[in-house]
Amino acid sequence: MLEYASYALVLFSLGMYVVLDGYDLGVGMLSLAAGPARRREYGEIVATAWDANESWIILAGVVLWAGLPGAYAVLLPAVYLPLIGMLIAVILRGLGLEMHSAAGGYRRGWALLFGGASLAVAVCQGLVLGAVLTGPRQEGGRFTGGALDWLSPYGVLCALGLVVLYLLAGAAWLQDKTEGWSRSRTRRTGRSLLAATAVLAVALGLLLPGADPQPTALDEPLRAVLFWLAVAVAVGAAAVAWSGFGRAPDWRPFAAVATLTASGLLALAALTAPVVVPPASTVHQVASPHSSQLFLVLGVGLCMPFVLAYNAYAWRSFRGKYTAPAEPALPPPRPVPHTPAPAAAPSGAVRTVLRRTVLVVSGILATAVSQDVFGGVADWIGPLGVALLAGTALAAWIAGDRRDRRAGHFGADPEAEHTP
Amino acid sequence: MASPAVVELSRWQFAITAVFHMTFPALTVGLSVLLAVVYTVYARTGNPLYLQIFRFWKKIFAVGFGLGVVAGTVMTFEFGLNWGVYAHAVGPVIGVTIGMEVITAFFLEAGFIGLMLYGDGRIRPRTMALACWMVAFGTLLSTTWILSANSWMQDPVGYRKADGQFHAEDWASILLNPAFAHRFPHMLLAVLISAAWFVGGISAWYLVKNRAAAQPMARRCLSLALGVLGVLMPVQLYVGDGTAVFMGQHQLPKLEAFEGNWKSDNNGYNLLVVPDTGRGENRLHVEIPHLGSVIAQDLSGKTTTPGLLQTPPDERPNMWTTFYGFRAMYFTALLMFATAFAGVVLRLRRRLFDSPRFLRWMVWMTPAGIIAITGGWIVAETGRQPWVVYGQLRTADAVSHLSTFEVAASLAGFVLLYVTLLAVWARYIVRTVKAGPEALPTGPAAPDVPEALVA
Repeated sequence: MLEYASYALVLFSLGMYVVLDGYDLGVGMLSLAAGPARRREYGEIVATAWDANESWIILAGVVLWAGLPGAYAVLLPAVYLPLIGMLIAVILRGLGLEMHSAAGGYRRGWALLFGGASLAVAVCQGLVLGAVLTGPRQEGGRFTGGALDWLSPYGVLCALGLVVLYLLAGAAWLQDKTEGWSRSRTRRTGRSLLAATAVLAVALGLLLPGADPQPTALDEPLRAVLFWLAVAVAVGAAAVAWSGFGRAPDWRPFAAVATLTASGLLALAALTAPVVVPPASTVHQVASPHSSQLFLVLGVGLCMPFVLAYNAYAWRSFRGKYTAPAEPALPPPRPVPHTPAPAAAPSGAVRTVLRRTVLVVSGILATAVSQDVFGGVADWIGPLGVALLAGTALAAWIAGDRRDRRAGHFGADPEAEHTP
Repeated sequence: MASPAVVELSRWQFAITAVFHMTFPALTVGLSVLLAVVYTVYARTGNPLYLQIFRFWKKIFAVGFGLGVVAGTVMTFEFGLNWGVYAHAVGPVIGVTIGMEVITAFFLEAGFIGLMLYGDGRIRPRTMALACWMVAFGTLLSTTWILSANSWMQDPVGYRKADGQFHAEDWASILLNPAFAHRFPHMLLAVLISAAWFVGGISAWYLVKNRAAAQPMARRCLSLALGVLGVLMPVQLYVGDGTAVFMGQHQLPKLEAFEGNWKSDNNGYNLLVVPDTGRGENRLHVEIPHLGSVIAQDLSGKTTTPGLLQTPPDERPNMWTTFYGFRAMYFTALLMFATAFAGVVLRLRRRLFDSPRFLRWMVWMTPAGIIAITGGWIVAETGRQPWVVYGQLRTADAVSHLSTFEVAASLAGFVLLYVTLLAVWARYIVRTVKAGPEALPTGPAAPDVPEALVA
């Protein structure tokens, strides 16, 4: 049974990823079509949350590895090129986003890199999805196919579908986060993306039996019920999104699109479970041994409520319309008297040479002691020597720091005022 | 099984992506602790100097953290992409450890980083401070899990092998494996130290250039960095020595390779070797006679160091990478120790901020920690070859079924991307440092009177 918990964790993480990173990939793609002022704003909307959103695909990946290593080991080599492409695009996207955010103003190059890389990530993910659904060639738990096996018409259609879905989520997110959009234009964009998503979803669904080598088993009653239930929820959510675009409350379209996406994923799972790698590798065959399942499910399961709680907290902190961050100006420091240190009296040449010799010798000795060179003579020399050296450094640090503060070396320190 | 070309290219790709990824945590773990400390001081005292320090280092931290995250994502997937057989075999052990890293540490960092970077002025200072500590705690926790996973591969324990997989028998001994006890403190100190050199070096640069606006910040940070270094450097040399001794006991070929000996009759310490792997001897070596004997804690200068000929040829690591990785780490460590020692002496002599030669030297030491960490990882990883799980799974047997074309293409892509990225990252650091911190307002607090009234 634990295998199913791992499988559910993978699905849950994947669902969280598609919903959360879906919108920020969508916002990235939409920024390509937006004007310079909006582009910067779109990037900043994503910047507060992309790290957390992207974490979900990493979790999905490692839970798949730990819980279902048989699937991980076959699927990843099978989608080598598109997945590498996705990783490279993820890096470029992070680079564009962070550099643009750090630049302080609009930078065309970074903005285009962010937008273009978002599109590339979505396309590569679609190709990966298509390749997984069409089933990699395998033998004895190892991938045996070719370098371009992932490229199929169905995979291309999947890529298109995922791009449109992410665009839809992005558009819904922007309605919630931004201001100053025109009602009718938002409605038009949202509805046409929704229509495109619906057409592609139906097409992908109808073509699935032809592409997926796994026999579809909709005649099993439980499976059929779950599948049609998920489809019904998706249709309902789509209807809510349809009416919600361009109309208050602004959060409604995104909530609807998120529900739509999640139920779509559930419908797919209802069709294919317990097969993880089509056509026939089931959860049981690819699962890791019991001891690993137990540790994984307990560990991840116990942490999950906390993860969800602080993610929700971070989300709440940035809720509502996006406003340009206004870092408050630094408060002015209080003046401090600066007492310059007296110039060191020049010491004689003999004394200088003597001092330097002593310092060099003691430095070499300290190095030797720290590396336990004298450990052969007595065990305690090393630890005691290190403790003495570190202790001296600590004492010198504390005393020196206090002295420097009193002397006003740290300029703006209010405590320095207390010294006359 | 797999062609040697695929194995070689996959190894190069993993090595390059791993080293590249490592340069980011080498800075950001320590910087996150610094940021948490200075923000807490600011929240408690209201001293604007600490807010200035926070905002300045935050700029470098934000980009470094983002790049570290995406570069780390690559590694998570590479385990399965290039090393499918390995992924299947160790998934029940390493997969779970990395999974725990993601859920406990990675999410913690990612969940709070948004608040930390964009929360200034939006959330209360106390919440900001909490977010900073959570990010810092997350990075430290992440280091812990990763070192646990890697150390298990260096010295596997607590498992049973069945159906070509490692089955976990005893989680406590897997997670807290013997190698972890040495390597974790060594790495933890290393990341704190490397961030301290980075902060200290850049602060020294401001003092050398005599930037008026940055003086208080530069002095404060230099004092802090050298304080940390003075305390940690002796401890690190001691812990590092312990790690080397442990590795000598558990992975003898690694020690044979990093000390640069083929025959086991040398009691000198090798400074430089030009190994000839085919003939099993050094074409050239420069040594300090008798000093190698102290490796075994023998001060008489007679004890010899074991050489690589003791190990069967098909179990020998590459002496080039292992030896020079070790020298890069160790010689940099000696420079770091000497510099930190000089810092303590200068502080005791009250001349820390006005010793131009020392400050100029500090600027050169800015990347010292990153160099040492890179060297250390090259020793750790190339020195255990040909094994990926030491003594149990050979690297050559762990690779996925891929074509040479695929791996060559991805390797070329990564090399191109990472070279560009390093250039962008270095340029960004230089520009940010040159722009300097936001200036502290001068003069006493202005009264809240509109200008019109004053006129």
